[in-house]
Formats: sequence, C-alpha cells, structure tokens
Amino acid sequence: MATPNVQTKPWLESRLPLSTFWRNHVSGYPAERDQPYLATLPGLILGALIFLAVSGAVLSLFYVAAEGSAFHSIQFIARSVNFGWLIQSFHSTGTTMLFAAVYLLLFRGILGSQYKGSGDLVWFLELTLFILLLLVGWLGFVLADGATGYWSLHNAAMAGARLGGLPGAIAEWIFGGPAGPGTLARMVVFHVVLALLLLVVASTLIIARRTTAPPVQRKPVALHPYYTAQYFTAFVIFALIFAILVFFAPHLGENHLNLAAANPLMVPAVLTPPWYLLPLAAIGSIVPTTLGGVIAVIAGLAVLYALPWLDRSRPGASTGLLYRFLVFILGLDVIALAIASAAPPSFITGILIKLFIVWYFLHFLVLTPLTSSTPVGATPVGATPAGGTESK
Amino acid sequence: MRRTLIATAALAITLLAPNARAQDTLNQPHWQSQGAFGSYDKAALQRGFLVYQTVCASCHAAGELHYRDLAGLGFDTAQVAAIAANVKLADGPATPDDIFKNPYPDPAAAAAAFGGAIPPDLSTIVSARPHGTRYVYDLLTGYAAAPSDMTLMPSHYYNIAFPGMQIAMPPALKDNQVTYADGTKATAAQEASDVAAFLTWAADPNLDARKEIGLRATLFLIFLTILAIATKRKIWRESV
Repeated sequence: MATPNVQTKPWLESRLPLSTFWRNHVSGYPAERDQPYLATLPGLILGALIFLAVSGAVLSLFYVAAEGSAFHSIQFIARSVNFGWLIQSFHSTGTTMLFAAVYLLLFRGILGSQYKGSGDLVWFLELTLFILLLLVGWLGFVLADGATGYWSLHNAAMAGARLGGLPGAIAEWIFGGPAGPGTLARMVVFHVVLALLLLVVASTLIIARRTTAPPVQRKPVALHPYYTAQYFTAFVIFALIFAILVFFAPHLGENHLNLAAANPLMVPAVLTPPWYLLPLAAIGSIVPTTLGGVIAVIAGLAVLYALPWLDRSRPGASTGLLYRFLVFILGLDVIALAIASAAPPSFITGILIKLFIVWYFLHFLVLTPLTSSTPVGATPVGATPAGGTESK
Repeated sequence: MRRTLIATAALAITLLAPNARAQDTLNQPHWQSQGAFGSYDKAALQRGFLVYQTVCASCHAAGELHYRDLAGLGFDTAQVAAIAANVKLADGPATPDDIFKNPYPDPAAAAAAFGGAIPPDLSTIVSARPHGTRYVYDLLTGYAAAPSDMTLMPSHYYNIAFPGMQIAMPPALKDNQVTYADGTKATAAQEASDVAAFLTWAADPNLDARKEIGLRATLFLIFLTILAIATKRKIWRESV
C-alpha cells in the first residue's frame, strides 16, 4: 500500500523501516560485478551454522548428557525417533560441510593474500571462526560418547588436571577436574554457548567483508537480483553435495570406532578424531608433554594469525606465481598430514607426520617472507623488502 | 570306512575352505545392501536373524535393539510377538518392547565365561569396523589350524580375519546348525553371510529409507541446480 501519493508512511514502515532497509542493503545495494562463486562462502557458512543450530536443538530433545547414557540416547534417536536418523545425520554431515567450507575459505584467503591491507580484520575474524569451530567440533565429537570420543575427553580432562598454574585453572574451570559422570553435561553447555558465539562471529565476518571491501570500480550492479541469483545457485550446489553425503556416505571422515559404545575398561589402539580435527591434532601430539602439545597447537594457529606480518609484499600487489604454487603445496601438505595421522601408526607414518608438520611451519615462517618479498620472475634468494612493480 | 571318509572330507573343508575363500578374489561374497542403490534382502535378514538367535545370542548382547524393531525384517506383529514370547527373561517371557536379551547378568560374568574376554555388543559392530559386513563374514569363516610356528594364548583360536590372528571366540558356525524355513542350504558360509546381512541391518536399520529419500532428494537437487544456473546466467547476461 506504500504508494508515493500517501504523505505518511504506513504504520509498520514508520516504526521499523523494513522496505528502506531492503532498498538500501539488498535491491539497491551497489556491488562489484563478476564476483566468483566462492565469494559466497561466508554466506553459506552462516547458513550451515543456522542449520546446525536448528538440527542440534532437535537432537537436544532426546540427547542424555551423561557418561554411559549419551551413546545409547543417540542410538535411540537413530532407531526409535521418527526421522531421528535423518536429523542426526543432518547434524554430523552438516559439520563436515561446514568445516569443508571454512577450510576452503582459509585456503582462498591465503592463496589470494586477502589478509593484506584492510583485509586483515576479515582474516582475523575468519581465523577466530575457525578456532571456535574446532572447539565446537571437538565438543560435538566428544558428546557422541563413542569409543574414541570417550577417551579423547578423558585424555583431555586428565591432561588438564595435570597442568598447573593458570592453564590448570582454566582446564579445571572447563572440565571440573578429571572426567566423570557429570562432565558431558558441562561439555553440552560449552558446545551450545560456543556455537551461539560462532553465529555472532560469522555474522560479524559478513558485515566486515562488506565494510572493508574496496570501492566499486566499474558501473555497479544491484545486489538483488544479480547476486541473490548467484547465492541461490551456490546454495543449491552446496545442498546437492550435502544431500549426497547425508544419504549415501553418512559417516564420511569419522573414525569407525566412534560408532561403538565406549568401554571404560578398554582404550582403543588408534584414537583418531574426525577428519576436520586431524591436522591440528597431529600438530598437538607431536610434542610428548601436555603443555608442549598445547603450545604446539597454539603455534600452529598463531602462524596463521601472523600472516599479515609474515607476508612482506605491499597491500594491493598481486601475489607471485611461486607464492601461489607454494600455497597449493601447503594445501596438499595439510591434507597429507590428515591422511598420515589417520593411518595406523607405523614407523613410516611417524616420519611422514613430522615431515608434513615441519613443512607447515617452514611455509609460514620461512617460505612466505622469502617469496612474498620477491617480484615475479626474480630469483627467490633476495630477502630485501619488495621493490615490486606496483610499489610507489 | 565311508563315514570316516566323509568326516575327513568335512574336516578338510572346515580347515581349508576359509583359506580358499580368503584367496578367492573372483567370487567375492556379495550382499544386496552394498552399493549406492542396494537395499536389504529381507529373506537373507530373516535367515540371518535365525542364525543370530540360535547361535550368536547365546553369548552376545545387542543392547540397542528391541524385539519390535524386527518388524523391519518383514515380520508381522504376531510373528514379532511370538519371537519375543520365546525368549525367557528373568521376570517371564519377553515382550516386543523389551531390549534383546543380554545372555550375561553383568560384564564380569561374561568375562569369567571366556577367560577375561567379553563378547562385544553386536548392535553396531558392522558400522564400528571398517568394511563391517565383510569383516563379520570373514571373521566367522576365518578359523583355521594355527601355523606350526605360532603359539596360541590359552583358550584362543587361530582366525585369519581377526587383528592379531587369535581370538577368544570359539568357531561358532558349522554346516546345518540351523534349518532355514525357506529351504536354503545351511552351509557354514551361507550362515555367515546371512548373519552378516542381519548385523548390517542391526547397525543401520534405516538404510532402505535413507537411500530411497536420498535418490529423490539428489534428483530434485540436480534439477534445481540446472534451473538455478540457467537463471543466474540469464540475470547476469541481461544486467549490462
């Protein structure tokens, strides 16, 4: 009814200007042309997070957060609740899709050096999203109370109880001491609270990407329908991959043993977490001591946070061919690390895991500063700051 | 003389056949539920349940299964009620809403019966092992005479499919251990195959529904993907 002739705005519009919002931020929002499909990843990640929150809420109706009962309650959901198996599979496979999207987002960020200049805030938000997601993912893995998750929680709580000082106090605040009958209930609280925080971080990330985007160079296009059509397509492709995994490979990337009930008297020979935790778990377990493992994990994440400083090329300069090649090698390195640490332990895999971890740190601490300071075509020996073609 | 020959032949088959099968790469055992479009063979599931109830259930629990779940094998309500009524629990015959009977009152009693080894719960054994269906079959048919250079632990048996090659479970299946109602010849291999099919169902009772919905969802989403790409290309082409 909002015709231009009417002087006063409709009741709702005068109080809550929804159509103005739609005009300013969607239908009339000027956007850069020809963005790639993968630029929709943050939106897909937020969508997947909401989907997981909803499916998790349904699961929480039947889930019993107590040691010994949790596994049984999930089996009850899968067997005796109407379409419970589908909701449970939505939640576990949705996690796989979400992690795949976040890993891809980080890979694109490194490949395109998107952390340079004003992109650093977005990069830090992406990393924060990743770290929170690792925590929530681990908590979910533990909540399943399978044969591996049970021992993962017990090892973590025991390691926390052994730590002294401030780390020990933090661990006690989280686990409440060595794992016992009540620990899973605490883990549920952290799983939910951190998941809500994830929603906040993902929304902030999308806003930050918009506000820090460079000004539109060419004639802009309206966000709707130009990009809503692209978003819809990306969403449908995402949903198609998701559906294939849910219905035809529901346990992809999980340790088989986590589908057996935990046995408090028997530690499995191989305690591998789900695929999305494998690279960082491998880095954490390379140092034998508890505190050393924690420091190794923090170091593995800190090199990602330090990228804006480790990459010494100027903001706006295009990334070199050698750098991009090395980033692809890094991607393969992380995948190989995950595969090697999921394989049955042997002498060879032990060496390979160490090799892949060394390469991971070598890439960030040595190769990135070296190659990013070198103009394309020059020898990668010089460590002098960039005198590239785009420097003023 | 003739009986001795048959007994010797039977012994030879029992001892040699597992090895022969393990090496037979051309005639691999196959289950109808395998593959993207596979569904359960209800006749095989019912045969497998007979083997399970006659042989496995005397030592193994399946704590996630209720007798009512057996409707998924194609039994009607009366048949399920009859199956449950045949099971004697501590407080009288079982009802369809009872969990599968645990043969031992507690894990300690089970451990005492097998020299410390507790028979695992079989509810999810197939999904908890890599290639679980095949693993169950290989394990049940994998008993053989131990090599001469191997010393078995007390009350353990040589089994080529079990990690470590020795298992506390005695060989469970032999020919004609059960009589199938549908006239299928009850060889030990057939029994192993059927019980593997049953345990696959036990671990994943929703496989048929999952694949059926999955096929519909996938076809729909493929169609929607084509439509979405075409729409997006048209919009991008026209907004010059």
